[in-house]
Amino acid sequence: MHTSAIHVNGLTKVYHVPERQAGLLAAMRSLVQRKVREVHAVENVSFSLAPGEIVGFLGPNGAGKTTTLKMLSGLLFPSGGEVSVLGHVPSRREAAYLKQITLVMGNRNQLQWDLPALDSFELQRAIYRIPTDQFQTTRDEFIEMMEVGDLVRKPVRNLSLGERMKMEIIGALLHRPQVLFLDEPTLGLDVTMQRRIRSFVADYNRRHGATVMLTSHYMADVEALCRRVIVIHHGKVLYDGALSGLVDRFAAYRQLGITLAEPADLGEYGEVVSAEGSKVVLRVPRAEASRITARLLANYALTDLTIEEPPIDDVIAQVFATEADQPAMSG
Amino acid sequence: MGMFRLMYHFFRIGAMNELQYRVNFWIQLLQSGVALAVGLISLALVFSHTTDLAGWSQTELLVVMGVHIMMGGLIGAVIQPNMLRLMEDIREGTLDFALTKPEDAQIMVSVREIRLWRLVDVILGAILLGTALVLLGDAIGPLQAAGFVVATIFGALMIYSFWIMLTSVAFWVVRVDEMLNLFEGIYAAGRWPVGIYPGWLRGLLTFLVPIAFAVTVPAEALTGRLSGATLGLAALLAIGLLGLSRLVWRIGLRQYGGASA
Amino acid sequence: MLDYYWTMARTAIITQFQYRTANYFYMIGMIAEPVIYLVVWSTIATAQGGEVGGFTPGAFAAYYIVWTLVRNMNIVFTPYGWEWRIKRGELSAALLRPIHPLHQDLAYFGGWKLVVIVLWLPIAAILALIFQPTLNPTPLEIGVFAIAIWGAYLIRSMFLWLLGMITFWTTRVSALYELYFAVELLLSGRLVPMSLLPPWARDLALFMPFQWTFGFPIEALVGTLSTTELLTGLAIQVLWILIGLGLVQLVWRAGVRRYGAVGG
Repeated sequence: MHTSAIHVNGLTKVYHVPERQAGLLAAMRSLVQRKVREVHAVENVSFSLAPGEIVGFLGPNGAGKTTTLKMLSGLLFPSGGEVSVLGHVPSRREAAYLKQITLVMGNRNQLQWDLPALDSFELQRAIYRIPTDQFQTTRDEFIEMMEVGDLVRKPVRNLSLGERMKMEIIGALLHRPQVLFLDEPTLGLDVTMQRRIRSFVADYNRRHGATVMLTSHYMADVEALCRRVIVIHHGKVLYDGALSGLVDRFAAYRQLGITLAEPADLGEYGEVVSAEGSKVVLRVPRAEASRITARLLANYALTDLTIEEPPIDDVIAQVFATEADQPAMSG
Repeated sequence: MGMFRLMYHFFRIGAMNELQYRVNFWIQLLQSGVALAVGLISLALVFSHTTDLAGWSQTELLVVMGVHIMMGGLIGAVIQPNMLRLMEDIREGTLDFALTKPEDAQIMVSVREIRLWRLVDVILGAILLGTALVLLGDAIGPLQAAGFVVATIFGALMIYSFWIMLTSVAFWVVRVDEMLNLFEGIYAAGRWPVGIYPGWLRGLLTFLVPIAFAVTVPAEALTGRLSGATLGLAALLAIGLLGLSRLVWRIGLRQYGGASA
Repeated sequence: MLDYYWTMARTAIITQFQYRTANYFYMIGMIAEPVIYLVVWSTIATAQGGEVGGFTPGAFAAYYIVWTLVRNMNIVFTPYGWEWRIKRGELSAALLRPIHPLHQDLAYFGGWKLVVIVLWLPIAAILALIFQPTLNPTPLEIGVFAIAIWGAYLIRSMFLWLLGMITFWTTRVSALYELYFAVELLLSGRLVPMSLLPPWARDLALFMPFQWTFGFPIEALVGTLSTTELLTGLAIQVLWILIGLGLVQLVWRAGVRRYGAVGG
């Protein structure tokens, strides 16, 4: 696949988990005879990312997101299927490959705790063998974009969580990787910090044409950065397509905002969310939305009618509530 | 007697917790076995070049080693884990939970933790001690046995007092973990009778870190070296240190209250 | 690569210098052990009429004071730390870098050693004042010693890495580590100079790397080794470094394969 930055086909990861039993005797027995259970963390996952694309990778805890990212970055060997990133097989962990990628995890810290971030940046330069002038330009550019000019000389241990994350991301991108794996980069940060990091990632993507795979619990991150999302649940791809299509596909209900000419009880048409005088908000099953709208229009004099999508967070929650054995959708 | 009741209950809970991890017993047994072997080999090495060390024969030094291992097991099982927890509580500010209980705070913080498997060393040390006494062949009279028991209790109390004072330093200086290494290094000196050390070091091991009283003096009781005067000094010092440690603890505690307010 | 080593070592130096008090406490805690050995053996030497196995109290003092520096050179990343390293995700982070993680440890601890050597000088001076060592090294002996302590550092780094990597397969290894350290203690020259060991133990030690990490550097400075013995010693150190390096590469590859299969 020459046209795609990341290409994954039939990717599978199976863990063999020994079953432990309580008690000394059982423990001794397990030394000889082990009971092993197979856990399918990722099952037959396929997708492709074009160069420069930012894709949101969504799923509840334990869905297989991190396992997939670890296989893409070469930390885990796949049990089956093919992975190709920038034409490399990640699990070979060639230096030429590692120099083109980065993996940022929101709960991990790679900076030298007791030293100013500048020293950690210097270390990154040595590790990735970045030419000095390129290093200085990139570093100063990033420091300006993140607005941390006055913080880079403070020991990392004295920085706030958000400031530390900014430094972490700067350090992780100094070698100008072509592919970014961002695993919950905004975890636990306040809204301003989240916004700053978001715009940094968007900027980096625009300037360097890097491909980005992002997981986040904050839908605001995904909405701001990703036009495309891949939803994974129980190790399988549930949905791969436009973010807007996700709502169409999975929202189980819609909300009708109705303004009546004169007050009336609309309880028979759907669930009344709120009713203030002549303004009523009705929640109706998605499939029946148009039929109910037609009936309302026929039976009442309406001065206004809007059809609203439910909030994306609710939709996502909905997706995860549905069973994973539905066929994967492509959109 | 509330103290013993409290100790019993904490001991029971701690033991039940540790019994969940029985594999650790075997690991501890192996580790203690290795340590014992190294000790015996060191002793054999020393006595392959000499027949006595500052007036102690090889078998008599086995007695010292037995006491040393027993006392080490006791410190490791009961004193050290409690003091480590105390240091952590002072640092993290979580001592409040212990202080709000309707019991004496010092007793409370001294009995909360137990590392059951470290008691393996107490048993191993006792076996070594018994073997050495049989090898010595001298009958141990009731007076000597009583002297040993009393000297051991005094020694343990002194070590405990020392630890309470050391840990109380955490009320003022937050990082005291490094002192732990220091203690372990110094405790290793007790494997040999303190008489072999040069004067200044002997003083340090007797009065600053009371290892002489914790190991050498009980061993002296069993090898017919203990004088009434030494035992009397031990009693005086034990009581004095206990009182002093209580004072240091009280003053430190006031510091804690001040810090969290 | 040189640039990497220097940058990493500089990081270690700055960090560890910030922790100089903690480092000092740690180093002082370690003094107890050689002082105990020194006192025991000096007592014996004096009782035996001035020397035992060719060592006078002054020679023992020299041996065990130099011991304190060599012991510090022997401190490398502990095998017990590997479990923590894997749990905390540090290993994953290391695997993502385009550089072998062995370099990271060698460079970092190497830099730390420079701080340790500086901090050690006053300690050595005080010990020398107290215990009056007999020490008359030749320039060659000093040179060989200066190289040999780094050889010792490299050999021990390799072998403790090997031990630590067992963590890829099982974490219940503490008893094995203790056994290893016990054998090392007895056969390295740490407990007693090699010449005081019984002949069979000395023969056994010939097949192990331990004495080249401990006894050899000390004796290079304080002993009476001939020029041939000094240079042969360095050559044997190189040999053990290469053996260690080969084994590390072998086990590392298998370990990473294992890690990639089961995850961190």
